Amino acid sequence: MFIARKKAIRYVMAIFIIFSLNFAIPRAMPGDPVMNLLGEDVIVSESSVAEMRTKMGLDEPLYIQYLKYWSDIFHLDLGYSYHLHSEVSKVLFTKMKWTLLLVVPTIILGAVIGTPLGALAGWRRKDSNEKIMTMSFLFVYCTPPYFLSILFIYLFSFKIGWFPLKGFYTTGTPGDIVYHLFLPVTVMTLFAASRNYMIMRGSVIQEMQMLYATYARAKGLFGREILFRHIFKNASLPIITLVALDFGFIFSGALFVEIVFSMNGMGNLIYDAILARDYPVLQGSFLLITVMVVLANLLADILYGLLDPRVRWQG
Amino acid sequence: MKGAVCSRMGEIQRGASSLSKLGAALFMLFIIMAVFSGQIAPYDPWARFEPYSPPSREHILGTNDMGNDILSELICGSRVSIVVGFGAAIMAALIGVVIGLLAGYFRGPVDEIFMGATDVFLMIPTIPLIIILAAFMRPSFWILALIMGFLWWTTMARVVRSRALQIREMNFVESARSLGFSDFHIIFSDIFPNVYNVVLPKFMLTIASAMIAEASLSFLGLGDPSMKSWGMMINFAFSRGGFLNGYWWWYLPPGLCITFVTIQAP
Repeated sequence: MFIARKKAIRYVMAIFIIFSLNFAIPRAMPGDPVMNLLGEDVIVSESSVAEMRTKMGLDEPLYIQYLKYWSDIFHLDLGYSYHLHSEVSKVLFTKMKWTLLLVVPTIILGAVIGTPLGALAGWRRKDSNEKIMTMSFLFVYCTPPYFLSILFIYLFSFKIGWFPLKGFYTTGTPGDIVYHLFLPVTVMTLFAASRNYMIMRGSVIQEMQMLYATYARAKGLFGREILFRHIFKNASLPIITLVALDFGFIFSGALFVEIVFSMNGMGNLIYDAILARDYPVLQGSFLLITVMVVLANLLADILYGLLDPRVRWQG
Repeated sequence: MKGAVCSRMGEIQRGASSLSKLGAALFMLFIIMAVFSGQIAPYDPWARFEPYSPPSREHILGTNDMGNDILSELICGSRVSIVVGFGAAIMAALIGVVIGLLAGYFRGPVDEIFMGATDVFLMIPTIPLIIILAAFMRPSFWILALIMGFLWWTTMARVVRSRALQIREMNFVESARSLGFSDFHIIFSDIFPNVYNVVLPKFMLTIASAMIAEASLSFLGLGDPSMKSWGMMINFAFSRGGFLNGYWWWYLPPGLCITFVTIQAP
């Protein structure tokens, strides 16, 4: 129970600190907070600036603004985008669905593909096939995902013409969406898999030196059996936490991949918001991503507790 | 969970020992390139020639839409990447080592507080936060490096802490304590020199992450407009048609540079 409570406190703290940071940024930055909160390109006259200032409560003391900020968040009110002429929360939720369509399969496939391959690579470290694979994954690991997307889109869509050049769909049928998603999901999966691969490989190399692995060998088990029955279970436990911690990273990567593939999700929303200086959208996106990252970590903790008896009995 | 992240770096480090020498050599090459970029670059990266020209004898990697020599841009761009990489890593190492040492040495409540803070920081989605800060401040690449360092000390603190926990139990620390040396003295002259081997790989990994992050930010157009960086080159090649027209000499070299300079880290 103690560990669970300590974790819960940390999650609440994380949310609290990040949200407070989000409150502070537009007010601490140089320039008029009205501009910082509305976006710079919104053309407003002198009198409407004053009017907006009163309307947004920016002339009130900071602590009242802060309380109002939290009350707005609990009402899911993330402000109004004057560029998109819509409420930020509404825009975000529609775009986020598409981005999750890219991120969730990526994370699952990345874990499913990267983990066993990494385990095998760690097990047969000296094998030349594994060495080539490690090198290719290392190459992917070190390449920014958007650059990999550019290469893929150039090769497979532009030169060979197997896949569409842009977007999430043209007709909107499920098959069409899958067809559009295939290439970006492949790039992102390679990227996620390379991270899991590297970690799993190292994890297996470490576990191999443990006594139980030697005992399994002495007992007469074959190589693959030792790996998948004994070592894999222990070595893959850290992966769960790492996948969760990686969630934010993968999500950020997806934003860039989306931009390259001109997909109309959060990545392009953020990109347009940067170009238009649409600060409410930027801040709202940041909050939403934070909440998702924290939720992913929470999920990982629960999963970890279910899989690892030591944690289960303690917490 | 803690152990997992602590050992993560060591695991990745062991991942590619065969490549590490090649990676280190490449990395040194890039550092030399960055330091002497003014002497090595054949042209001024801002000088204008015939635009869109393919690789030739005068312009080994051709020119871009503005007629800038791409090889010169590439060589000068290395400076931005190296400065951001090292700046972020030095900042992260300073914070991470101090917090890790204090948490590992004092244990108890100090440890609880610092590691709690580390857990909280670890959950911040750093790239989106950096995007927001960059959008508001339009920082120079120096500031950018410091912001990254300030967000990325967490894993450094964790590895240093777990190492410090081990070392503080060793005999020589014990004897230093019984001789009456102060905590401060023990931490910085006995324990600190021994965490070097866990800090170095982490340091290199932070350099790599910062370089990739800088390239990504520049790709979004949030980089320092007064400097040419690799990410910015890819961004321009992508947004100004270099990619659709198949001008590989424009977008491929900066991308490969990013990959090869970061490949030393894991």
